[in-house]
Amino acid sequence: MITAEQKPIEEIREMIAPYKRILVAGCGSCVAECAAGGEKETGMLASTLRMAAKMDGKDVVIQEKTLDRQCVNEFVIQLDESIDQYDAVLSLGCGAGVQAVAEMYPEIPIIPALDTEFLGETMSQGLWIENCLGCGDCMLHYFGGVCPLARCSKQLLNGPCGGSMDGICEVNPEVPCAWQTIIERLENFKALERLEEVYPPKDWSKKQGRGPRKIIREDQQR
Amino acid sequence: MIENNKLEQRLKEGAFAVTAECGPPKGADPEAVMKKAEMLKGKVDAVNVTDNQTAIVRLSSLAACSLLKSAGLDPVLQVVVRDRNRIALQSDILGAAALGIRNVLCLSGDHQGFGNQPEAAGVFDLDSIQFIQVVKTMRDEGTILGGEPLSKSPDLFIGAAANPFADPLSFRVVRLAKKIRAGADFIQTQCIYNLDRFEKWMEMARDRGLTEKVFILGGVTPLKSVGMAKYMRNKVAGMDIPDAVIDRMEKVPKEKQREEGINICVETIQRLKEIEGVHGVHVMAIEWEEAVGEIVEKAGLLPRPRS
Amino acid sequence: MTSDKKPVLALFYCQNTHASGEDERQALEQKYGDSLKLFPIPCSGRLEPLHLLKALEDFADAGYVITCPEGACRYFEGNLRAKKRVERTREMIKSIGLEEERIGFLINSKEGPKPLTDLADEIMDRLANLPPSPVLGPSVQGRATGSRQRSKGDKV
Repeated sequence: MITAEQKPIEEIREMIAPYKRILVAGCGSCVAECAAGGEKETGMLASTLRMAAKMDGKDVVIQEKTLDRQCVNEFVIQLDESIDQYDAVLSLGCGAGVQAVAEMYPEIPIIPALDTEFLGETMSQGLWIENCLGCGDCMLHYFGGVCPLARCSKQLLNGPCGGSMDGICEVNPEVPCAWQTIIERLENFKALERLEEVYPPKDWSKKQGRGPRKIIREDQQR
Repeated sequence: MIENNKLEQRLKEGAFAVTAECGPPKGADPEAVMKKAEMLKGKVDAVNVTDNQTAIVRLSSLAACSLLKSAGLDPVLQVVVRDRNRIALQSDILGAAALGIRNVLCLSGDHQGFGNQPEAAGVFDLDSIQFIQVVKTMRDEGTILGGEPLSKSPDLFIGAAANPFADPLSFRVVRLAKKIRAGADFIQTQCIYNLDRFEKWMEMARDRGLTEKVFILGGVTPLKSVGMAKYMRNKVAGMDIPDAVIDRMEKVPKEKQREEGINICVETIQRLKEIEGVHGVHVMAIEWEEAVGEIVEKAGLLPRPRS
Repeated sequence: MTSDKKPVLALFYCQNTHASGEDERQALEQKYGDSLKLFPIPCSGRLEPLHLLKALEDFADAGYVITCPEGACRYFEGNLRAKKRVERTREMIKSIGLEEERIGFLINSKEGPKPLTDLADEIMDRLANLPPSPVLGPSVQGRATGSRQRSKGDKV
């Protein structure tokens, strides 16, 4: 899932300050799962912003609507019926959602209410961790199901570095050393000797190609 | 044999080699480098120049190596993969060779979050082991990554770092083997204070026949004070300073602690000389280069042979 | 800042907490009239920050929650969740410059549980000197009607 966190209210208020009729647009997918931009959070943010406007004596209309998915045009288009009432959209979608709305309604300014963070996993309630870089060339089978690019601070493909102590990363004591985990996993599979080979340099062209990456599936197209 | 390479020559003759570390200044200040060059000249076989160590911006390692070279020293260019992608790394290797630099130490580098540019993007396009392999291929095959030929190969003696004190111990020797397989000619280790653990690591390296394939230089750093010892133990990742060392520093009065630090360092070198498979010592006197001469002398390693 | 108008409290309370039935509710409504809007909820864990925010936005000078004593929640940890949500809501109103005292919670005592009426009195006393909410403004203050709030409460 794509994770995100809400920007500070002060920052959001600054960004929406020039506008008088604002649609606060939530998204019911990934950002709802990580409690950043779902229906609840959208309601809370809109309510808070309305209160702030009243306290400032500002005559501003702030309304909310949560789409099932902000990054899919079929859902974005549901804004058609009301979009003309607004002079700005404050989106609680991830970066992809914000851009999908902007693409659909290029004449209306769109403002991000969230900072999009990473591709991650819900480890437990209220805890999300990054574990995928979206590199375009998955190697997880080789590293015992642990991605060294996403989870090693130095992105070592031939780790661990010299700073791994007691299974903890030298860069952040709250983070387990990804390489310690890789070694333990491969020990379980009796495949530790795999790590004696030098793993070759990563082909980054699969992540940073020429401009944004694209997936085309003719069988899925109309 | 690489021409004009004192370090390689010394090691291949079977002598106990001595290298030291020189940290470039935080400014465009060639005199600071030359001053350190004067301190180290005649005391060591080669001088490592750190590459923005602890992720703090300093005069470039390549430039400082060139200055040392002009002062008649044999520099070891430290290069970290933190700040350069594969294009820049390979380019710098060619540049270094063209300037007559004959040794390179391939490193990951301290994470950018530790230094004075914590907002920097970490590059880490290659890791240190891949980088070693790239340099070796450039030297031995005359090609860059992807196979394109070079008009002239860089003639370099390739080094790598090893930390015998990090975890997991069993994997530390695997990693050493991997660095050798990738192409390391020599190894400089993390600072040694825990000699027992170092000896265990060396034994494991010998068992795998690794000491026959690579020259190992044991790293030492003289402690300036008990405060420094505690700081390194508690704050520096991958550092193993036993309580006995801290106690020893604590027992002497403050004004004698530098002397005691030098004594510990000299004793460590004496023991390193006795360990089978240790080919030399790498003295990292952090911002204390003037101590190197004294340490080397007390350890009975002077005069250095002239080549 | 002084005002003749009494502060309006939106009071959410767990129906499982001691003496919080229909009698207590009626007694409180008679005593405080429009100054107190009661929202019984099956467990304080069902409370969402949005309920508190909406109350502040629409009619209330303050929003409070009464929870069961720690360790006494019928649903194990509903009261603990309520506590965290109240804290989060406080952060939000603080960020727009609203006094955080306008949001709060009261944990009923384990040793000597008090009836809802006593707890409500305690909170009303605590709020006696609370200035009118700047969110509601002079023209809006006190406009909330019982019927409107009743329907809101049912949604909870």
